[in-house]
Amino acid sequence: MTRFLCRVAPMLAVLLLTACSASNMSRLEVADDGEHLQLYSNNSLLASRLSVEEVRRKRVNDLLYMQATLENGWKFELDFQYKIKWFDQQGFELAPQSQPWRQLVMAGRSQANVQAVAPNPSAVRFEIWVRE
Amino acid sequence: MRVVMAIMLGVALLASGCASKVEYGDPQARETVTPDFGSSDLQMIATKMVDDMMVFPPVVELTRNRRPVLFVDRVKNKTSEHVDTESITDTIQSRLINSGKFRFVDMTVVDRVRQQLEYQQDSGMVDQSTAAQMGRQIGAEFMLYGNLSSIVKRDNSTKDVYYKFTLKLLNIQSGIIEWSGEKEIRKTRSRSLFGL
Repeated sequence: MTRFLCRVAPMLAVLLLTACSASNMSRLEVADDGEHLQLYSNNSLLASRLSVEEVRRKRVNDLLYMQATLENGWKFELDFQYKIKWFDQQGFELAPQSQPWRQLVMAGRSQANVQAVAPNPSAVRFEIWVRE
Repeated sequence: MRVVMAIMLGVALLASGCASKVEYGDPQARETVTPDFGSSDLQMIATKMVDDMMVFPPVVELTRNRRPVLFVDRVKNKTSEHVDTESITDTIQSRLINSGKFRFVDMTVVDRVRQQLEYQQDSGMVDQSTAAQMGRQIGAEFMLYGNLSSIVKRDNSTKDVYYKFTLKLLNIQSGIIEWSGEKEIRKTRSRSLFGL
């Protein structure tokens, strides 16, 4: 019995620890100011695997419409979330609490286009935020 | 024996460290507690529907110089779960209004509006120069309606749920569907070896 407890207790402790660990909140920010693409990253694992190949933008009925081509440079599947933040001319974020995190699963070494439409016509700039 | 006691004490301390507590979280964060319909699904559907509708060329043409008036009929829940579909259409409606391209009439408050109009007109309490007039409301030009359906498959260790949300924009006068959008969601839950 003692031997059994000695074996089981450490296993249980490891399981409890893993069950309570926090998720990784790495971020990669892409800001499009219309002139060039800026990449901000906290040098996380996700940011090192993910890159933005191209950003396109156009106005559809006064609303800013964006498309970003993301590339998974890793050889395995990448499962992450992204969010588009929209800003007006003065730098105010538009509808900050209403833009959801969207799920994206990319196969290894693949590209995917993400698209979004600004919440209202005052948007002139956007940022893409990603996290695991 | 002492070693065992020490280990068990350690485990008890770890376990108490994980005791339940209440915290505020990000309402926009991904929610994967169960594969049932959840907040993330609602947000994904609303965003996709509004984005699709806003860039569909005939809808762009419709809203170029005016703000058409819409009303939301309802989204039929054809899944086996209880889903508050009005909450989905409320979010879609809010986003469409905030885009500045559409206006809505609300059919769920017609009785209360009528009561208020009757009070203003007939009660003798309201200055008639400020009273709202009967018969001045604007008729809706389009109707939004749709379906939410699901296919659920399961075996001993896996549950797979497929949701399909369809939304349509119908011209009330001509009966023509001007736009239709779809969003599909697949969620799979797999049990691990120890059921954790």
